[in-house]
Amino acid sequence: MASPTSNPAIATENGMNRRSFLRSSVVLTTGLAALAASLKPLMEMNDFPTAERFMQKYYKEMTPADMAKVLKRIESEVEKEYGLRPHVRDYKPMDGVEFVYCLNLTRCIGCRKCVHACVAENNQSRNPEIQYIRVLKMPHGSLDIEKAEHNYDPEQVPEKGFFYMPVQCQQCKNPPCVKVCPVHATWQEKDGITVIDYDWCIGCRYCEAACPYWARRFNFTKPSIPKERINPEMSYLGNRPRRQGVMEKCHFCIQRTRQGKYPSCLEVCPAGARKFGNILDPNSEVSYILRTKRVFIQLKEEMGTSPRFFYYFDV
Amino acid sequence: MPTRWRNERLLVNTESNTTKVLLLLSAAFALLAVAFLGNLWGRSPASPKISLVDTNFLDKATARRSYADLIKAGEDLSDFDCYACHEKGKAPPLRFDTNQNLIIPKEHSDIVMHHGSHERNNNCFNCHDELNLELFQTRDKRELKLSNSAPLCGSCHGPTYRDWEAGVHGRTGGYWNRSLGEIDRKLCVNCHNPHSPKFPGRKPAPGPHPLRGGGAAVAHAEIKH
Repeated sequence: MASPTSNPAIATENGMNRRSFLRSSVVLTTGLAALAASLKPLMEMNDFPTAERFMQKYYKEMTPADMAKVLKRIESEVEKEYGLRPHVRDYKPMDGVEFVYCLNLTRCIGCRKCVHACVAENNQSRNPEIQYIRVLKMPHGSLDIEKAEHNYDPEQVPEKGFFYMPVQCQQCKNPPCVKVCPVHATWQEKDGITVIDYDWCIGCRYCEAACPYWARRFNFTKPSIPKERINPEMSYLGNRPRRQGVMEKCHFCIQRTRQGKYPSCLEVCPAGARKFGNILDPNSEVSYILRTKRVFIQLKEEMGTSPRFFYYFDV
Repeated sequence: MPTRWRNERLLVNTESNTTKVLLLLSAAFALLAVAFLGNLWGRSPASPKISLVDTNFLDKATARRSYADLIKAGEDLSDFDCYACHEKGKAPPLRFDTNQNLIIPKEHSDIVMHHGSHERNNNCFNCHDELNLELFQTRDKRELKLSNSAPLCGSCHGPTYRDWEAGVHGRTGGYWNRSLGEIDRKLCVNCHNPHSPKFPGRKPAPGPHPLRGGGAAVAHAEIKH
């Protein structure tokens, strides 16, 4: 047995003396505190996925029975959160239907009613504010989006010398947002609507960066929707409430249009500037417009995105 | 004792670098921990209060109500009872001032005439039938009921009427797919006042609130300067 060392800084057989104990305990507590701090965001996480949601299959791989289960789960989640039983369905595209939107720039008066009807229909967050439609005010005689203004607030619209151009998802035939999605959480359906599976989205925001129309919105926080303003008619790929950290965008009111109804923004437009329909039907309003109206533009045509959203003029 | 002290000091000197680094690191971590837990920076900006939009802006009602709407709603139609005042079978006289502007009699003071460029369409009987005030007459002498005014408008506004018939001019609602439901068509007079047809302006709904505080007013100011 060795004699006790005269050096207090070196560990004894007991394993520790006072100095090394103090030192390691300081290091340990600091380390623990740092670990706690780095894990702190977890404390703010309020939306832990249930096992059911975590194990959910990819949308295109789900059988109708799987989907029925998922819809039930969403219904009960919404009921728990907002206190009302919603009607959530997964509406499929119709055969022989390709949607096209036409907007008459001669008629639009810039009243922004479409913006708010859309928010109400599609259960968008009110604070922070998420809106799918932006109305741009531009001086007559140009179509320079760089000169456009969002924040006009006069006593009365339309203002003399200006026209208004609402911009929303253009439902491109060649959508850049779909190409960049690393997890295939967004895709184009056969009726032309580009949809997002909110349960599959990882929130990387690549699609937001890829979109030349700034049509995609990100839920930076948990969306806040007042209970009394919830629209209970919901669809899986459409207006069911989103979670924090997922993308969303205009989906031509899938829950309405796939049941044969007009989108909400169209119905509320006081000037009748918005027209929507099936381009494959020669008798639809949109076919008539593209056939007979003299001027129509696709926004940023040169991007090669081939939007299904057309702007036209009456005169 | 003094030897032991000296030994200790020597050893501390040889280990002093390690000790210093460790203590420094500990202090740095402790500070970081305090900073993170106290959320000293990276605090999310106080989100601006955004009041809910007035439900009037969500209203799908048309700009005005047509005679047909009033009939449907079963409302008081005494305003349209022409022969409560006028004499049947006798054309009411029209008076014009020296500029050929119609002088509107005080019984009809609610009417503002503002139809046609330079207010030239100011003859009541361009549209109303002078011999039967409860009917309209078109330029090609068709007689139409007050509730069926669209063909009357169409007798002058041909291209617009054609667009309207195709569902392209004016508001629609209901179903785009006619096999699943009815389309809801609005009449000319649901939006246009026939005496003063220019579509009226209105107060716009509130503009967007940018993500980082301040609201529309601040963003507006930023754009201006």
